[in-house]
Amino acid sequence: MQNTNHKVLVANRGEIAIRIMQACQKLGLGFVCVYTAEDSASGHVRMAKEHGGEKSLYRVSSYQDANELLAVADESGATAIHPGYGFFAEDYRFARRVTQRENKLIFIGPSWRIIRELGDKINTKRLARSLEVPTVPGSDRPVYDELEAEKIARQLFEFQEEQGIRRPMVLVKASAGGGGMGIEEVYDIDLFKSVYRRIRSYSLRQFSDEGVLIEQRIKDFNHLEVQIVSDRTGKNPVHFGTRNCSIQSTGLQKRLEIAPGFDPSSINYTFDAQKVLDDITEYSLAMARKVGYDNVGTWEWIVTRDGRPFLMEVNTRIQVENGVSAMISRVNGKAGVDLIAEQIRVGLGEPLGYSQENITFDGVGIEYRLIAENPEMKFTPWVGRIEDFGWDKHDWLQMHSHVPTDVAYDIPTEFDPNLALAIIWGKDLSEVKVHGKEFLNELRLTGQNQGGESLKSNVNFLRTKTDEILKF
Amino acid sequence: MLDISKLLEEIKASPYEELVITAPHTGVVSFGSIKVGDRVIGATGTWGEIPGTPLATLQRERNDKIIRATQKGVVEKIHTELEGTFVEAGTELVRLRHFLSKDEVLGIILKKALYLFEAPERAKYYFAPDIDSKIKSSGSQSVTVHDGMELFIMSRMKREAPLNYSGPDGVIYAVYFQHNENIDSGAPLIGVCPPDQLSLIEDVVVRVQTEWTEQE
Repeated sequence: MQNTNHKVLVANRGEIAIRIMQACQKLGLGFVCVYTAEDSASGHVRMAKEHGGEKSLYRVSSYQDANELLAVADESGATAIHPGYGFFAEDYRFARRVTQRENKLIFIGPSWRIIRELGDKINTKRLARSLEVPTVPGSDRPVYDELEAEKIARQLFEFQEEQGIRRPMVLVKASAGGGGMGIEEVYDIDLFKSVYRRIRSYSLRQFSDEGVLIEQRIKDFNHLEVQIVSDRTGKNPVHFGTRNCSIQSTGLQKRLEIAPGFDPSSINYTFDAQKVLDDITEYSLAMARKVGYDNVGTWEWIVTRDGRPFLMEVNTRIQVENGVSAMISRVNGKAGVDLIAEQIRVGLGEPLGYSQENITFDGVGIEYRLIAENPEMKFTPWVGRIEDFGWDKHDWLQMHSHVPTDVAYDIPTEFDPNLALAIIWGKDLSEVKVHGKEFLNELRLTGQNQGGESLKSNVNFLRTKTDEILKF
Repeated sequence: MLDISKLLEEIKASPYEELVITAPHTGVVSFGSIKVGDRVIGATGTWGEIPGTPLATLQRERNDKIIRATQKGVVEKIHTELEGTFVEAGTELVRLRHFLSKDEVLGIILKKALYLFEAPERAKYYFAPDIDSKIKSSGSQSVTVHDGMELFIMSRMKREAPLNYSGPDGVIYAVYFQHNENIDSGAPLIGVCPPDQLSLIEDVVVRVQTEWTEQE
């Protein structure tokens, strides 16, 4: 990094806050962290205390209060804000405010105009269609009227029946939601109204917005992603390959991510898998070039069993699963790619410094999201105290966690019960599966809650699913 | 059986509580003319529309937030060493000694007399939509609960689940949770008055109304 005269405000918590601080250290940049009362035992607070120096840690009332973040930024002398994922990461109003206030700061993410353009699902669809990129059918704006909602749902049911789909289904989604919150499936038009009302009331409570989206759900599909990185010129986006995120919990939350998206070298697909990967990568890059995309972002795709891709949405932020793409990527032949460091570097205005020819891929990566939850009870979060948490070190393993391993840790109920991200590498699919299971078998994770119930986690679920990865 | 006289005597022996006023968010703090020993009041008026006594001002992003007394009381300590500095959320600013009001004493005694339905887990709680609208229009005492009825929505970690009431039938006499506030496991959510306890509860109300004199 040429200009290290920057201090980055880490506007997030947990694992991603730690990753951002580590990236700042790597680049020789200063940082400042925030935390709330519930999070005082989190690893990100400890790291800021130990490595941040003066004015690097502030307690705030909420991670979601922009005034808090900006007041801390000014007080601590920060020059840039990294939103991480969630919270303000895709809020164009926040990005705009950061860059346009009197004491201007850099928003480490795409320009606010791009976040606005691609955050709006109609706009994204329109842009995709103009480039002949296929998109998912459904309502292309939030619906506020019950009669209108029912009409759209009816049309989608009829459309699917005409298509010969045996069990048609529509998806009712809180428009302001995301990450699998406030989504329900409807198989029967007679039940639509009650689901619609439930989602509307949920949306109003959680997001103060009654808007609901109604979409056709393609049932038998794989969920793929393309990782894009581009610098502030917006002219030379590159991709860091594809990921497969099809293994999800019942609440449609991702649990396992694999890079690359398919493995035609060891699995026989009923379609030309390499062509699908090439197509979605090309489509994603074409869209990124068209909008002048200028930071990291993810293009999310649905691929049907007959090998047709549909663009679902664009996430204008770094994603949880960034590490699994980095694990198999090489820049100029070198391993150790850190997409968060790349994001900060280009975010602060440095040119990317390499092009697509310099990026190569090696092997297969798995990311396990270790979560305290009960997969047998619809993945209900488990809350309590973690008493023992540890793993064996391997050169094919990266662990990212905010959970301390030397003292007991009470999981705060205010946030997700995510404990850690484990990223595993193998030279091919069979080796990464062996490594993955070895890691899960060696993992120590125990705890108890007030009711004396022992810790529930998704480790067994991850172990079982490891056998199925990349199979359609 | 509940001994109301004994409870009242206990409260009378120590009729105040200490209130710690903390910074609700970050900002640069300044204390106005407030002094130790000053009498302050909380919000008053039918709807709490008359604001309480100002204790300090917190400036953040060019906005002034006036920190006010939440209850009636006497200023015990002011952290004047913080004057003009940037404070973090949760920093203690002022300490008040608050004398219990009639309603608070009533609340304390009722908590012992009513059937308390407790939060099974630490979460945010909401009334189910139809119950919520009934309470908003006619007050909590208009709702009669019975065992097994779907009464709450429990929300935590992005998930919501319905929660059924279990306990004796009766009307909701007191609500102990607030919108968007996390409630600890075991903390009471509502106080229910079963019909056969009604005379006792009424007795409590009358006794407190007549026997408790508020401190000025």
